[in-house]
Amino acid sequence: MEPGDDSLMASPTPGSKALPVRPAAGGSPATAPPARPTAGRPALIFPAILSLLAGLYAGLGRVGWDLPPLAASLAAAHGPLMIGGFLGTGIGLERAVALGRRAGFIFPALTGLGALALLAGLPGPWGAILIAAGSGGLLGASIGIIFRQPALHHATLALGALAWLGGNVLWLGGWPVYRVVPWWAAFLVLTIAGERLELSRVLFLSRGARTAFAAIVAALLAAVALTAAAPAAGARVEGLALLATALWLLRHDVARRTVRQSGLTRFIAVAMLSGYVWLAVGGVLFALEAARLVGGPPYDAALHAVFVGFVFSMIFGHAPIILPAVLRVVVAYGTSFYAHLALLHLSLVLRVGGDLGGWWGLRRWGALLNVVAIMLFVANTVRAVRRRAPAPSVTAPPEGAPLTEAIP
Amino acid sequence: MADRDREAGGVTCGAIQDGSLEARQNQVYHKLIGVMDPELGLSIVKLGLVYDLEIEDGAVTVIMTMTTPACPLGEVLTRDVQRLVGELPWVTAVAVRIVWEPRWSPAMIR
Repeated sequence: MEPGDDSLMASPTPGSKALPVRPAAGGSPATAPPARPTAGRPALIFPAILSLLAGLYAGLGRVGWDLPPLAASLAAAHGPLMIGGFLGTGIGLERAVALGRRAGFIFPALTGLGALALLAGLPGPWGAILIAAGSGGLLGASIGIIFRQPALHHATLALGALAWLGGNVLWLGGWPVYRVVPWWAAFLVLTIAGERLELSRVLFLSRGARTAFAAIVAALLAAVALTAAAPAAGARVEGLALLATALWLLRHDVARRTVRQSGLTRFIAVAMLSGYVWLAVGGVLFALEAARLVGGPPYDAALHAVFVGFVFSMIFGHAPIILPAVLRVVVAYGTSFYAHLALLHLSLVLRVGGDLGGWWGLRRWGALLNVVAIMLFVANTVRAVRRRAPAPSVTAPPEGAPLTEAIP
Repeated sequence: MADRDREAGGVTCGAIQDGSLEARQNQVYHKLIGVMDPELGLSIVKLGLVYDLEIEDGAVTVIMTMTTPACPLGEVLTRDVQRLVGELPWVTAVAVRIVWEPRWSPAMIR
């Protein structure tokens, strides 16, 4: 568990040490201090949120909005802040919560510190060093999961972390962001695809579907490696692999079934499926514009189809279930969530359309509305947050026993 | 309600009035049906995540798994289990133990 966290949690593995718990009502033994429900985690999330806000601000400057520069280095840090500072820290936290071990929280702490170093404009490569170290930790944690349960979906998560680490090492080595972006894209796509493969097992995927998935993962990694030697050829193959990933997900993801349900379950499915469309668009753009993915409108369109259309759609869908897991709050789903999801997609249509059509005003406004959609997501989510009803007090179990909660 | 009763193996509220161990197990399973995987919209019972129950007087231990160690919802589901099972009038304590053996597989879906 994270530092200072004394709250209730079942033993993550058989025989693992029982955690101290809150004193019981009714005179039961009280051997632990009151729970600190979210101690430590907000501090770890803070750099991620700061990265998001600063990254978005920098992004607006990059598409031509005349904003006061907060720091000279901020514009160049847009990508590292969004990928490493925000998404990398968030994914690291999610993985740490899943593993339920204190050490797991060190790695998102490192990426968060790296983001703060970028924001502070520290001299030297401290930001890159810390983020690279954190990504190495995520890889280690992911390998640990493979040892616990060998499976294709766990290997995919680890390969995603490997791609992130590889990209970060190259970035640390001085490669420009546009050369590193294919690695970072593979990180996020493999992470999300691996999680979707895991979830979609409930559909009893055929051997052919699983083989196709493995082949796509291999192609994506090969393409990323190829970008190091031949950027255009690598980007072209990566685009095809991204397209194949999107088609696989559109065909096999359990979201195709759960979209027929209602409420939050349906919302998540809609977010995922609409994100897959953007992943397909991004794949096509990567493939078609491979030779021009060094900056400018084609670069903007291809990258943001993947990073905004696909990745943020997934974030919008999963925030209502991941935030409760990480922060121990309740996010009450509401139909208003469709507003930020719809605005995200509509604004991205404007932005990518502006990019491809050469309409700079459209591109600028589309990018601004992307930011508005993300801020609306933040606002809608914060409005939906409810503190959990106070849990009944609990008694401290004996060493090695499961945690027990006393019901008054 | 009828669907929930079927998921619980045909146990109905009317059939679980007595205080026998079997009746209490049924009551707990009935409550666990209300603990949902939010992404799949399926009960943890339907998913086959609940492996066993231990009941000793009013103390209930739910032995369950997750579909993957990479899933961060363990704490959320634990709290939901504790909240719902704790609503039973005879329950004085609820424990959740997450285990990884046997490893969950889709074949466990009920």
